[in-house]
Amino acid sequence: MSGSFSSLNTALSALRYQQVALDIASTNVANAKTEGYVRRRVIGETVAAGAVPALWSRSTELGSGVRASAVDRMVDSYLDARARTEHGKQANLDLQAAVLSRVETGLAEPGKNGVAAALTEFRRTLGDLVSSPESDAARSQVLSAANTVADAIRLQSRNLTVETSDQRSRLLATVAEVNTLATELASTNKSISAANLSAADSATLLDERDRLAMRLSELTGASATVRDDGGMDITLGDVPLVTGLSASTVQVTGGVAPDGSADGNPISFAIGGQPVTGPVDGELGAIRQIVDVTLPAYAAGLDAVAKSFADDLNNQHKLGYDKSGTIGGDLFSYDPADVAGSIRVVITDPTKVAASAVPGGGTDTGNADDLADAVTVEDDYQRLVNGFGTTVASVKRLAVNQQALTSQVDSSREQLSGVSLDEETVNMVTAQRAYEAAARVMTVVDSMLDTLINRTGVVR
Amino acid sequence: MAVARMTQNMMSDRALYGMQTALGRLAKVQEQLSTGRVINRPSDDPTGATSAMRIRSSLSDQLQYARNADNAVGWLDQIDGTLSSVSKQLVRAREIATQGANDGAMGQESRDALATEVDQIAQGLVNAGNASYLGRPVFGGITAGRTAYAPDGTWTGVPGVVKRTVSDGVQVRVDVPGPDAFGPAGDSVWTHLGALATALRGGDTDGVRAALDDLGVDGERVIGVRADIGARTVRVEQAQRIVADAELSLSASLSELENTDLPKATVELQLQEVAYKAALAATARVMQPSLLDFLR
Repeated sequence: MSGSFSSLNTALSALRYQQVALDIASTNVANAKTEGYVRRRVIGETVAAGAVPALWSRSTELGSGVRASAVDRMVDSYLDARARTEHGKQANLDLQAAVLSRVETGLAEPGKNGVAAALTEFRRTLGDLVSSPESDAARSQVLSAANTVADAIRLQSRNLTVETSDQRSRLLATVAEVNTLATELASTNKSISAANLSAADSATLLDERDRLAMRLSELTGASATVRDDGGMDITLGDVPLVTGLSASTVQVTGGVAPDGSADGNPISFAIGGQPVTGPVDGELGAIRQIVDVTLPAYAAGLDAVAKSFADDLNNQHKLGYDKSGTIGGDLFSYDPADVAGSIRVVITDPTKVAASAVPGGGTDTGNADDLADAVTVEDDYQRLVNGFGTTVASVKRLAVNQQALTSQVDSSREQLSGVSLDEETVNMVTAQRAYEAAARVMTVVDSMLDTLINRTGVVR
Repeated sequence: MAVARMTQNMMSDRALYGMQTALGRLAKVQEQLSTGRVINRPSDDPTGATSAMRIRSSLSDQLQYARNADNAVGWLDQIDGTLSSVSKQLVRAREIATQGANDGAMGQESRDALATEVDQIAQGLVNAGNASYLGRPVFGGITAGRTAYAPDGTWTGVPGVVKRTVSDGVQVRVDVPGPDAFGPAGDSVWTHLGALATALRGGDTDGVRAALDDLGVDGERVIGVRADIGARTVRVEQAQRIVADAELSLSASLSELENTDLPKATVELQLQEVAYKAALAATARVMQPSLLDFLR
């Protein structure tokens, strides 16, 4: 038989437990929209009567109530690891797509203002010059069309330079953010370990830990492993970045000088002096791809187009004679180190355009014809734009495909960890009713005791 | 878990994603309709964009050929018109020579009058030899000057060829060097007219007959040149037709490649609009209810 008051105690444990359940439901509802919040669930446990049998005695109790044994964070660490990987890839592709789209818009192709249109216009004005070599207007037109070509090429080159230098600054800012996050994660690890030692609730700290690790994955594609003490270790390209309570720092060891300028080498990283040789994904990987591969490839192609254009026309121009019969000079000038960024028209005097193939200052136009024929870079330029367009289209398509995968994984995580308001409402109502019922039990027991104490044996 | 657990966040995320996607598609169609072009940047269709650039370049070539051909026709018409009047004047000169050769029929005064007319014809032919198109003497080769002949009939032109590219790889010469039409120095129409005038003034009937023969040769030469000009004009006109055809077909290809198919895009717009509205309506209905509405 149970003791007279033990039923009251059982009812009290129910009141306490339902109170906790209400608290948890209320926390879940409050954090329904909090970034990185994982829903909690209270785990109830029956307090068993006489769970440990004694040698000479046996408990006669049937049950002693309930207690909250634990508060669970509803997470699946495999799903989290997967989500970090996918988010790293997504951030990589999204950044590449955004930057390349911007560069692509700057090309102004196909259209009336791009390099292709300028080249066509240049050939057209040479055709007009053939028809009226005696006219200074036709010669000026040729010069202004040549200037348009040079301007269009320089504009593209400048766009590329500006974008590359923006991305280098972005790289430095991203590395600074990574280092801050790594430090924060190390100190969170410390708090988690302390909380675990003192058996305090570490759920909020674990939320914070996962949020930091996710952001680190987005920025760098780093992988994370959970430690026995609840903390998280981060490894970037096979080199540890955060180990337990200590965080190293990522340094940019090549490609970008501390002031954001280029140092001529490919971008490389080191963590605490140890070079990162493994893959770097996420935004850092995207910036490295853009700055080291995609944009330089296009810039080199543009340089080649500009150089071959300027050289072809200069050579042809020097074979001709200008209006006064003097042999032609260079039409374009450029700096061999940066052809596309420095190509300019040398001639300013329209009469210096060497349209004639014969000396003597006549109206021969053989050289103007040959100049028009010497514009042979259109094919190369079209191939260049085609190649770049294909790259951009491919990155955009990959980003869309990756988005589907990322959404799928996020959805699975949300399915497990997200707060459902309906569910919490049901939990709340259940807890409320159980609380009421436990209070009722108290009233009943009280009434029983009243009967026992005040009414039993009373003879009237 | 047999039934997937759904949360309000999942619903709102999916609703947002769906609406963004639908709106994105709508924006794409709207861009195509408002710019009138399907290819607005290389990545929309890299191959198509390259083809469009190539076609646009060819189209510009064809337009230039058309301009060149117009210019060529101008030159050739000018030369033909001028040579036609030259022919008439040479015929007149030969009539005079024939009259002058009938020595018994007229006196010296009449011959002097004829000689004066011959001088005027020679002067008229100098004007014809200086005929110009858009300020350039058509018989002057590549001279930078405004005239091809000095008043005394000396050619002042510069030997050289004036050509016009009238279609792909087809160049047509549009000038005629003065000596080819009017005879080389020392054997030109002016030499012969001068000789005729001198012979008429001197009563030298044999000289007049010799000049008559020479002028006959001159006349033949002019006719020969006109025939050649006619043949060149035919070539240019043929090229003009080819260019016009090419221009039309290239414009059509460019439009097919680059321009929005309006009926298709409009139908697409309707479809996307319906899809977007459906997404909005579904979201509005799904986001509203909650268990809280039914509990008291």
